[in-house]
Amino acid sequence: MVATSLLLGALPASTLAQEQLSYPLTVIDDEGTEVAIEAFPERIISLSPANTETVFALGAGDRLVGGTDFDDFPPEASGLADVATYTGVIMEQVVALEPDLVLAAGNFFTPPEDVARMRELGFPVVVLYAPDVESVLADIELIGTAIGAPAEAAAMTAEMATRLAAIAEMAAATGTAPRTFYELGAEPEIYAPAPDSFLTDMIERAGGDPITTGDPALWSIPLEELLVADPEVIVLGDANYGTCPDDVAARPGWEGMTAVSEGHVRPVDDVPVTRPGPRLAQGLASLARAIHPELELADFPADPAMCEAA
Amino acid sequence: MTTQDLARERAQVHHHSFEALRQRPVVLGLLGLAVLVTAVVAGVAMGTVAVPVADTVAILAQRLGLDVPATWAASSETIVVTLRLPRVLTALIVGLGLSVAGVTFQGLLRNPLADPYVLGTASGAALGAAIGVLLPIQIAWLGLGLTNVLAFVGALAAIAIVYRVAGGGGRSTMTSILLTGYAVGSMLAAGLSLAMYLSGAQLRQIFFYLLGSLNGADWQSLLIGLPIIAGGSLLILARARSINGLLLGDDTALHLGVDVRRERAFLLALASLVTAAAVALAGLIGFVGLVVPHIVRLVVGPNARVVLPLSAIWGGAFLVVADLGARLAGELPVGIITVVIGAPVFVLLLRRYRAGYQL
Amino acid sequence: MNARGLRVDIEGLGLRYGQADVLVDIDLHIEAGERLCLVGPNGAGKSSILRCLTGLTEPTAGTIALDGELLAGIDRSAVAQAISVVPSQVDLPFSMRVEEVVRLGRIPHENPFTGATAEDHAAVDIAIARVGIDKLRGRDVRQLSMGERQLVLVAMAVAQGGRLIVLDEPTVHLDLRHQVEVLELLGRLSDDGLTVLAVLHDLPLAAHFFPRLVLLDEGRLVADGAPSSVLSPERISEVYEVDPRFVPALA
Repeated sequence: MVATSLLLGALPASTLAQEQLSYPLTVIDDEGTEVAIEAFPERIISLSPANTETVFALGAGDRLVGGTDFDDFPPEASGLADVATYTGVIMEQVVALEPDLVLAAGNFFTPPEDVARMRELGFPVVVLYAPDVESVLADIELIGTAIGAPAEAAAMTAEMATRLAAIAEMAAATGTAPRTFYELGAEPEIYAPAPDSFLTDMIERAGGDPITTGDPALWSIPLEELLVADPEVIVLGDANYGTCPDDVAARPGWEGMTAVSEGHVRPVDDVPVTRPGPRLAQGLASLARAIHPELELADFPADPAMCEAA
Repeated sequence: MTTQDLARERAQVHHHSFEALRQRPVVLGLLGLAVLVTAVVAGVAMGTVAVPVADTVAILAQRLGLDVPATWAASSETIVVTLRLPRVLTALIVGLGLSVAGVTFQGLLRNPLADPYVLGTASGAALGAAIGVLLPIQIAWLGLGLTNVLAFVGALAAIAIVYRVAGGGGRSTMTSILLTGYAVGSMLAAGLSLAMYLSGAQLRQIFFYLLGSLNGADWQSLLIGLPIIAGGSLLILARARSINGLLLGDDTALHLGVDVRRERAFLLALASLVTAAAVALAGLIGFVGLVVPHIVRLVVGPNARVVLPLSAIWGGAFLVVADLGARLAGELPVGIITVVIGAPVFVLLLRRYRAGYQL
Repeated sequence: MNARGLRVDIEGLGLRYGQADVLVDIDLHIEAGERLCLVGPNGAGKSSILRCLTGLTEPTAGTIALDGELLAGIDRSAVAQAISVVPSQVDLPFSMRVEEVVRLGRIPHENPFTGATAEDHAAVDIAIARVGIDKLRGRDVRQLSMGERQLVLVAMAVAQGGRLIVLDEPTVHLDLRHQVEVLELLGRLSDDGLTVLAVLHDLPLAAHFFPRLVLLDEGRLVADGAPSSVLSPERISEVYEVDPRFVPALA
């Protein structure tokens, strides 16, 4: 329990009276929209797993009344009323919960028309989108301001920044930056990070040289291009969906890659790596270990075993 | 006994079971209205969130002007009045419009497999909507989203192109219009595929538009779409005589005094307008415009003066029920429900009555 | 039914498509209640005369008058009430019952808003009785034999109430029994006072059932009168370019 709270950077909640003094306030969300929040939010709805994690980590989990059906961390999150599914936001559910703050996700994760609809219905909706690692910290602080926990947020981001920097330093200290292919998926096409994206930022900080699709509009990379790029390390971001190093070795044509022939194909739990929330430092640590297995990073818990076939 | 004799006997037996309805289509109409009203009430009373029926009735009563004390939660009122009511009414008017357009296109093209989308409307609307989704502009016109407006424009533009290219108007051009419709529709579909490929993270929005959904229904869109659909449908009903006249072909229609060229142009324009409005409101909901006219015709015969209003009523009821099902099943796109319900029913009816009622 | 048949006056009728003369200087006068048949080889212009008469095609020369009134000045629905055209085949996209097809004939009379009236239904019943197809009521037209279908179409024309009934090759797909049935029916309608104008390929049948034949050849009217004089051996060999013995002795 203590380790968990250290990991999440949770701190005791400040006194209520101090928070309530700063309302009503206006925040500018990541789409540049000014959102007016009338009072200290008591009924918060989160529309992304990252936002849910952040709210819990800031000690305001008891003020959450609704989440998505993808929310899986912390364990209490799955008990929240499901307000959003793959198809979009269930508007009736939102209205019935009478939220006073909605934390949505940008880049079309929350459908824009649903955002517009909720604002039409009179709910304050803050849209968050983190295109890189720095923005994750900024978003945590934005959430902190919006929900009335700015001190907790500042403390959390400070600690995260320190740990992120420490990991990056140790990774750089290994002296190598291997060409790294982070596999998002391999069927029906090979899905790789786009250049200048969140993942390339993470990979670079983890001490890797990211192989990308080459164009911000492209999600996939042809096999020939990947062969030419010749990754020295392959990180399986799709390990959670059943892809393991043995599968990669079996793919026709892949044996030509350095990563495959020298056995540098490693699975990783993609959730902390890609979720723009409080566990990002842990994610960076896992990623760094996958790229540089010699790194210990003893401050971070060991990664769960994946793909250990009997 | 020859197979023809057997078929004849079977046909006569089936005639009896639906005979009463056929002779008195008004009964089928009243029955449809009853189903429609029930469906609307159910649609407003039920949903993802449970609102007590008594509250629903009270909220509606107050809106209608009755003096009812406000004992319900504000959120319940928002749900009933801002979310459910426009949605149910939109389902009604879209189902009505698609059915009326289906009857009209089947009559105009003299083809039982025609549906409102047969002349490229679907592809045009989808491409328009896709462009609306992809354009980084957030303008609203009369309270309508860009997607709705462009879908409407796209649908009409597609038909206008088809009509033009096919040399619109002349005598045996209905076949060439149909073929041109396929060609133009395919080209627009190619454009749509390209748009979807380039759409990146917005693909999901475009996809759900294609499946048809009443999720975004609101009062502004409804208040604009309703007069178009209702008005267009009434004008089509006034021309039912011409649709009947076309049943035996162009020459016979002319001999019966129908101004084929003019009536065709009017009916095509009206049916296209109705379809475009329906598609702008709810996306590409399939199957309603194809099947409801068929089922109605199976029961009451092809007289357009009877088939049009009955299809309107039953089409509206069907979509209201389908949307309720879609909502209760976890907000599925309603287009999936219409196929899942409609296709087996249609196949069943066809098999049972094939002897007596060929398509 | 004692309707007064339509009187038709065709004068100097000409039809030209591009360089081709389809009809040249046709003079044809039909008294009210007459029964006549146009005959002639393919391409003679028989169908073209019908198309000009019924308003499907506009002639390039000449005039057509119905009861003394110029066709060009009569509006479409009035023409539809005056002339009933029997289609030569049924091509229905949906299944329809016999009485529903016959009711289509009332379209020129129907009010677009209120639809069929009692008078319309009566006209349908009378037509069905007159043509003798009561036993076919309730049957799906697409499942009838060709002969039965033709009778239904004639009933439709009768229900339409036109005082001129026009038939283009009504017997083409029929067996002999049905051919005779249809032609005898036309005789009865003509006895009722209606003007009947048909086009037939079959010369013996035309000669037997029509007291007046009009022979056309390459767009011109070649002969007009009783069958025996119109279909003389000389005419037959000249127009049809066959030995006259191929046309059996005319009754």
